[in-house]
Amino acid sequence: MELPPSGKVAAEWVTIGIVTATTVSPADIEEIDEELSDDRPWVTVVWNDPINLMSYVTYVFQKLFGYDKATAQKLMLDVHRKGRASVSNGTRDEMERDAARLHTYGLWATVIQD
Amino acid sequence: MSSMRPQSGGIPLDEDENVGFYYRFPDCFRRTADGVELRLPRWEGTILAELVRLIDGMLEPPPVDDPLEALVGLRDTAPPPPEDPAVARLLPDPYPDDPLASGDFRRRRTDDALAHKRAAARRVLATLPGPDEVLLLDEEAAQDWLTTLNDLRLVLGTRLGITDDNYLDELGELPPDDQRAPFVEMYELLTTLVDNLVQALF
Repeated sequence: MELPPSGKVAAEWVTIGIVTATTVSPADIEEIDEELSDDRPWVTVVWNDPINLMSYVTYVFQKLFGYDKATAQKLMLDVHRKGRASVSNGTRDEMERDAARLHTYGLWATVIQD
Repeated sequence: MSSMRPQSGGIPLDEDENVGFYYRFPDCFRRTADGVELRLPRWEGTILAELVRLIDGMLEPPPVDDPLEALVGLRDTAPPPPEDPAVARLLPDPYPDDPLASGDFRRRRTDDALAHKRAAARRVLATLPGPDEVLLLDEEAAQDWLTTLNDLRLVLGTRLGITDDNYLDELGELPPDDQRAPFVEMYELLTTLVDNLVQALF
């Protein structure tokens, strides 16, 4: 994968670790860290289960993520037919919160790094 | 996932299938301009009250073993994964391939998750309408009812060992003296109620 210029600096910084203090300021490092984690987003995955109703799962996707009915239904059918669907992506903390909200509604949600 | 099916939501009152006489679970939830109205006939209300009381005991937070942690009310070590499969179904593991992350999630989230579910279940029990009453649910109350009814379905479904969408092929034909039979009826009632409330909320 071709990394953007700042991503390349970040990759060198992580793999080689020989960037001197004069070339990278703390602000740069913060920016680099953010871009690194953006490269591999975290994803909330909902898995098929034999109990939850199709209508209920569609409703929960609409309610929690604000999807319109068509999008929510497509995601629900992905879960039903393919066994799983990614329903949101973002930082690990955000995905953990999404998974916890889905658990409140009894959906079988896990968090993975894409 | 399962879908509502034509034979779902009813109890056969006659063993002769040709009679086709079923007691249909009524549509209890109805959308109005002010919110969602709930009417519960006597049998349905009694069953629900029993089930909610039953689930309340399952939502007890796991004990904090360390005396100092218990004293300050902070959980510093992860509680073990739930032993009861039905409780485990209510608290899915978001990191099944990462025991460390999984334990850390349980340490930070289990107590809150159980407290949230228990509070919703208790609000449902406290507002359960009698046979001649109509309960008007605002958005928040409707979510309490929806999540509690669904949790009850998950618990009963797990207890009944429902593993695929064709569970009625086996469980729908139980002899009347099978101890699972009444729970299948309750499960069917919950199926009707959850779908009914979802349709009212869409």
